[in-house]
Amino acid sequence: MNSNSRAESDRLKKRNWFIEILQRPEIGPFGVMLLLILALGFFSIPENANTWNLFEGEGLNALGIRNNLRIIAQLGIIALGAGLLIIAGEFDLSIGSMIGFAGMCMAITLKWGFHIVIPYISFTNGISVEKFVIASFNNVTPLAAVFITLCFTLFFGWLMGLIVVKTGLASFIVSLSFLFFLRGLTEVCYRAFNKAPDQTAGSTQVSDLPDFKNIVNLPEYGEIGRVAAKRLDPEILLRYYEKLSPDQIAAFSQKLSMAFERVAAKKTEILMNKNISNIEREINNAKEAGNTDLVTTLQSRLLDAQNMAPVVPKDVTNLDIVKAWIDTLPSERPAADFFGGNVLEGMFEWLYQIGWNVNNYGNKFAPGLYNAVFLWILIAIVAWIVLSKTQAGNWIYSTGGNLNAAKANGVPTGKVKISLFMFSAFCATMFAATQVFETNTADAAKGVLKELEAIAAAVIGGVVLTGGFGTVLGIMFGSIIFGIASVAFFYIPYVDGSFYRIFLGAVLLIAALTNENIRKRITGGI
Amino acid sequence: MSNLDPLVKIENLKKNFGNFTALNGVSLEVFPGEVHALLGDNGAGKSTLIKILSGVYQPTSGKIFVEGSEVKFSSPRDASNVGIGTVYQDLALNALTSMTRNFFLGREQIIGPPPFGILKSKEMNKIAVEEMKKIGIFISDPEQAVGTMSGGQRQTLAIARAIYFGAKVLILDEPTSALGQKQQMEVLKTILKVRDLGNIAIILITHNEIHARLVADRFTFLSLGEVIGTGTPDDLKDSDIKRLMAGGAEIGDLAAELKR
Ligand SMILES: Nc1ncnc2c1ncn2[C@@H]1O[C@H](COP(=O)(O)OP(=O)(O)O)[C@@H](O)[C@H]1O
Ligand SMILES: [Mg+2]
Repeated sequence: MNSNSRAESDRLKKRNWFIEILQRPEIGPFGVMLLLILALGFFSIPENANTWNLFEGEGLNALGIRNNLRIIAQLGIIALGAGLLIIAGEFDLSIGSMIGFAGMCMAITLKWGFHIVIPYISFTNGISVEKFVIASFNNVTPLAAVFITLCFTLFFGWLMGLIVVKTGLASFIVSLSFLFFLRGLTEVCYRAFNKAPDQTAGSTQVSDLPDFKNIVNLPEYGEIGRVAAKRLDPEILLRYYEKLSPDQIAAFSQKLSMAFERVAAKKTEILMNKNISNIEREINNAKEAGNTDLVTTLQSRLLDAQNMAPVVPKDVTNLDIVKAWIDTLPSERPAADFFGGNVLEGMFEWLYQIGWNVNNYGNKFAPGLYNAVFLWILIAIVAWIVLSKTQAGNWIYSTGGNLNAAKANGVPTGKVKISLFMFSAFCATMFAATQVFETNTADAAKGVLKELEAIAAAVIGGVVLTGGFGTVLGIMFGSIIFGIASVAFFYIPYVDGSFYRIFLGAVLLIAALTNENIRKRITGGI
Repeated sequence: MSNLDPLVKIENLKKNFGNFTALNGVSLEVFPGEVHALLGDNGAGKSTLIKILSGVYQPTSGKIFVEGSEVKFSSPRDASNVGIGTVYQDLALNALTSMTRNFFLGREQIIGPPPFGILKSKEMNKIAVEEMKKIGIFISDPEQAVGTMSGGQRQTLAIARAIYFGAKVLILDEPTSALGQKQQMEVLKTILKVRDLGNIAIILITHNEIHARLVADRFTFLSLGEVIGTGTPDDLKDSDIKRLMAGGAEIGDLAAELKR
């Protein structure tokens, strides 16, 4: 070494890429995640099925993937909010209540509109509370409902952050206050709006919202729900057949006849298996009874059953084609579709055609993935770029890693924290939006305990509770681990499904210990 | 060197905390390319003096001149704007992130609007390594976490950062006190390298007169808020330094005091 460098100054060895990957903090969560996915696939294969294909069982077949990814994605969204805030050194225990509150806001504005009023006490007819209406919007679209909700939730996020930053109170206690406050506010609002006679008085839910994501625009008819459209008078529907182009008709009828053939083939298979097993049982009975004549007749019947004529596929009618066409009409409420609809529908159609995404009756199993998955990936990509690639990311890490150092170097740590409280509220709102528009219901009990699940997922993914350490990829792995664990145990034979909580408790503890060790290794024990 | 104009000049600085006089008329001159050691016992007022210089406290009376013109600081930002860079004992580093991220913390180089601009990692890595090299420490992996660096390397990082962001006066508050022998020497070498840059004035606060003697061009001794001696190593004999370190008392007096 020359005089410009010192022997002591650089004792780190250059690592190769393989070692580098193995030393990444996400490697532990990644391994656990893979194991759980394998376990889910393996244990969900039915006992009598003679296969090693992990994608055959309920856990990882098309519908299983659709349902499990929904659980993972919804948890993943709030885990990102919780995780980034923990990296900046603060907690948000209000996430679950914020979900309930946001769902309430959305459902109520969708149902009763949005009104800005000033209440006052009137003495004209005795004493009563009257209201002066400033502005009134009756038909609130899904997009507007989400925006109005965001105004409230982001405000509460901002307020929480402001209180934490200005008073120096622990965010644990401030957000705990908001946990109670928001849940209470949610219930009070539901009761205030749910009044007889048109609603169940005192109910804390809204359950009969229209299926916004499936509102389509039927030409010359106007807006109508997809299901209702398909139930219109056949005469009306057949008029649309005339308007379809020959190419469209050809495409639809090809798709439908393939599906009908598949259904017929499945029917044949089911019938044949049923007949064969019945006859075989009778043969066994006859053999036991020593009735040889009956055995021979039954054996010839068995041969017939094995060579049964296949079920004839249904013909594709013009009505079928119109209904298939209605299924392809785009949603007239894209915002509702964005939160509650499906994604990757084309891919799942293709998977159906190649014969994988098929249920026991030959129909398409899963129409696609829930859009919550898309939303999760989208938020994760943005969060990943911000956290690991931008100036703001460096501020977040330093705010949580060493608050005084960040302040001394001019980092606006207060703004960083407030923004992340708002981001956490934003994520809770997105969670609520996916729930509301998937199910068209909202309930005051929505989101209970979700804040703890989100924090657990973040910690399992490698976020250190004292702040300053963690990655977006890790948080995503943590969410997958949490989500899969909560369903995988259900399939393990002879094991109580609730064992998943025991498992998660252990994983959480081990993860927290591991994270602390990694942190100590990096800080040299500081 | 002393034929140059002083970079920083302090005149008759006084600081009271209530009716407690922490500094009682301190005067000091610091020249570019010079290490000025500020020595004194605990409670002498060293920290108070540098906190005034770096804008944390405002003086009760007295004047501060930087490059000949009088300055008044109402915040640390004002001080750093005129080129006074302070490296505190805790170094203001985040042990969990990389050297580069710490070097540019709060002043990141980015493409795009702040705060969501993308970090120019490559450029920043290069600058951080070069600036560290200038004052004598070569780091091959600027992505390594600061927590994995040695105490001496961290001190150097904080110094290199202050210089890169425009410090003309570098104030080091007890930079060697928390380090082992070998790393203390590393830091002293770094201080000499900074001095060799020629345009930076260094104020070195220390307890350790050996360290001061190894690197300092000029000493100032504080005791009970007053300057009790100042000069170059040539002006001051060893016995003077020992006496002044002990707050002005003669060794003989101390010995007598201990025997009582
Ligand atoms: N903020 C303050 N309020 C009151 N007294 C202070 C304050 N800061 C320092 N002092 C007093 O001023 C004196 C000098 O302190 P300081 O400058 O920290 O000494 P040194 O750094 O030389 O050990 C001490 O007696 C200390 O108690
Ligand atoms: Mg001190």
